[in-house]
Amino acid sequence: MGLINFLIYLAIMMGIYGILSLSLNLQYGFTGLANFGQVAFFCLGAYVTTIITLTFGMPFILGLLGAMMIAGLFGYVIAIPTADLKEDYWAIVTLASAEIVRMFFLNEGWVVGGGAYRGGAFGVGGIPQPLKSYFSPQTYPLFYLCLVIVCLILTYLIIRKITDSPFGRVLRSIREGDDRLAQAMGKDVKKFRLKAMAAGGIFGGLAGCLWAHYYGFISPYQFIPLETFIVWAMVVVGGKGNNKGAIFGAVIIILFYHSTRYLKDYIPIEEVTLASLRMVAIGVLIVIVMLFMKEGVIREKKKEY
Amino acid sequence: MTITQVIVNSIIRASELALLSLGLTIVYDMLKFANFAHTELAVVAAYLAFLLNVTMGMPILPAALIASVVTGFLSIAIDKAVFKKMRTSNGIIIMVTSMGVAIALRNTVRAIWGADARNYAIPLQKPIITPWFRITPLQVWIILIGAASMVFFYLLLHYTKLGKSMRASSDNPDLAQASGISTEKVITYVWFIAISFASLGGILIGMETYILPYMGFAIIIPVFCAAIMGGIGNPYGAMLGALILGFAENFGLYINFGKVINLHGLLPFSKDLFIPTGYKPAISFVILIVVLLIRPRGILGKKKEG
Repeated sequence: MGLINFLIYLAIMMGIYGILSLSLNLQYGFTGLANFGQVAFFCLGAYVTTIITLTFGMPFILGLLGAMMIAGLFGYVIAIPTADLKEDYWAIVTLASAEIVRMFFLNEGWVVGGGAYRGGAFGVGGIPQPLKSYFSPQTYPLFYLCLVIVCLILTYLIIRKITDSPFGRVLRSIREGDDRLAQAMGKDVKKFRLKAMAAGGIFGGLAGCLWAHYYGFISPYQFIPLETFIVWAMVVVGGKGNNKGAIFGAVIIILFYHSTRYLKDYIPIEEVTLASLRMVAIGVLIVIVMLFMKEGVIREKKKEY
Repeated sequence: MTITQVIVNSIIRASELALLSLGLTIVYDMLKFANFAHTELAVVAAYLAFLLNVTMGMPILPAALIASVVTGFLSIAIDKAVFKKMRTSNGIIIMVTSMGVAIALRNTVRAIWGADARNYAIPLQKPIITPWFRITPLQVWIILIGAASMVFFYLLLHYTKLGKSMRASSDNPDLAQASGISTEKVITYVWFIAISFASLGGILIGMETYILPYMGFAIIIPVFCAAIMGGIGNPYGAMLGALILGFAENFGLYINFGKVINLHGLLPFSKDLFIPTGYKPAISFVILIVVLLIRPRGILGKKKEG
C-alpha cells in the first residue's frame, strides 16, 4: 500500500469516526446522555445496509436511508423505557442493548441471507461498493473519500443547526441536570431525550453504512464495546459540547491509533502486546483529560446573555 | 437436567454475582457514581492470584487471599490518584473516568498475560453426586463464601462503627463530617472492602471456569443488573438482585416456553421453545428493563429525597 493510499484510508477513517463522534457528542456533549452503546448504531447501520444492498440487491442510496432510519428508530425505541432513568442506569442499559444487537447478528446468520460459512460469526463479505464501475481501482478510494467528506460536512451542518436552535438550548438545559428548568418552560424532557437519541442513531447508522461499503466485509466481532469507548475518547479529548471538537478528537485519536500500529517496525514488541498498550494509552488519556482538562482541547462555546 | 440441579446452579451463580455486586453498590452509595472499573479490578485480582498460584507455585487459598488484599489496596491507590480529585464532580464525569480506568486496567492485564484463557493450578474437581443434584467441592465453597459475605455485610452495616459511619456519610456527608466522622477515611475502607470482595468473586469465577482478560466485561452487565435491579446503593437490594438474576439466567434456559404457551397441553400448540443459549447474557438485561419499567428505582430502591 502506497503512502497516498494509506493517507486516503486514514482520512476516510477520520471522516467515518468523525460522524460517529459528532453523533455521540450530540447525545453526551449536548444532552448529557451517557450512551455507552454507541457501537449499536454503527453495527445496525452496517448490517442494515448490507441486508438491503447485498441480500436484496437494492441500490446504495436505499441502503443508506434504511441504515439511518433503522438505527434512528433503534435509538428512539431503546430510550423509551430508559428516558426517565438516572444517567448511571442509562449507561448500563445502552451498554447492554449494544451487546444484544451484536448477539443478535452473531446468532441469527439468516438475516443476511444465510448460506454456508456466511452470516453469524463468519461475517458477510462482498458488500457492493457504490458506483464502483465508474472508477478505476486506483481512483475509487479518492471518490469514496469525497463521499465520506460530503457526509461528514452534511452531518456537521445538520447537527450544528440542531444544537444552535432553540431545540439545542433545551437539550443543554437537560444536560445541566435540572429537568425542572426545562419543565418550567413547558418542555417535555422525556420527548427531548428520545429525539436526541433518535438523531444520534440516525448519524451513527450513517457512519455504519459508510464503513460497511468501504470495507466490503462486516462481522459481529468488529462491533465490540471497545469501539464505543474509542468514540468516547474522541468526544472527551476533542471537547464535549463542541462540534468542531468532536471532529478534532476523531482526527487525533485515529492518528494516534493508526500511527502506533507501525511502532512495531522500530521497537521489538509483539503486535498483540502493542495493541494492548495502545488501548492502555487511550484509557489513560481519557482519565488524564477528565482530570486536568475537563473541557477537552476545544472548549464549548458558552454564550453570555 | 433435574430441577434441583437448576436450583443449585442458580444459587452458585447468585453467590458469585452477590460477591461482585455488593461491592459495586456500596461504592455507589458512598461516592454516587457507577464504577465501570469494578469488575476489571476483579480481573486484576484473578490474574494476581494466577501469578502467585501458577507462576510462583503458591497454594490457591493464600494466593487468592493475598491477591484480594493487594487489589483492595490497589483500588485505594486508584481512588487517591484519580477519583479523590473528582469528589465534587458530576456522577457522569466520574463514571466516564472510571471507564477510562477500566480500559487501562483490562489492557494492562492483556499486555502482561496475553489474551488467551488461563487456568489455576488446582486439582480437577470431582463432583459430589447426590440423588437430586451434583456439585463440586469448589461450588460448595462458592455458596458458603457468598453466604458468609452477606452475613458479613449485614453485621458490618448494623453492628460496627464503620458501618454506621458509612450510612451516615452516604446520607449526609456534611453532617457526618460535622459529627466527627472522617468521610475520607470511611471512603478508604469502603474501597478496600468492596474491591476485596469483588476480587474474591473474580477469583472464584476463574477457579470454576478459567480466567480471561475480557472476563470483566463478560460479567459487568449481570453485576450491574443485579445491583441496579435491587436498587443501586442498597446492599440488600444487590443480594436480592443477584439471587433473582442467578435464578433467571438458569431457569430462563431450562424452561420450555412451548409448554408455557400451550398451558401444559390445553392449547393445540405443540412445539418445544427454548431460549437459545447464545442469548443467555440477554436474559439479565431483559429482566432489568422490565424491573426498571415497573419500579424505576429498583425493587428495594430508596425514595427520591427532597
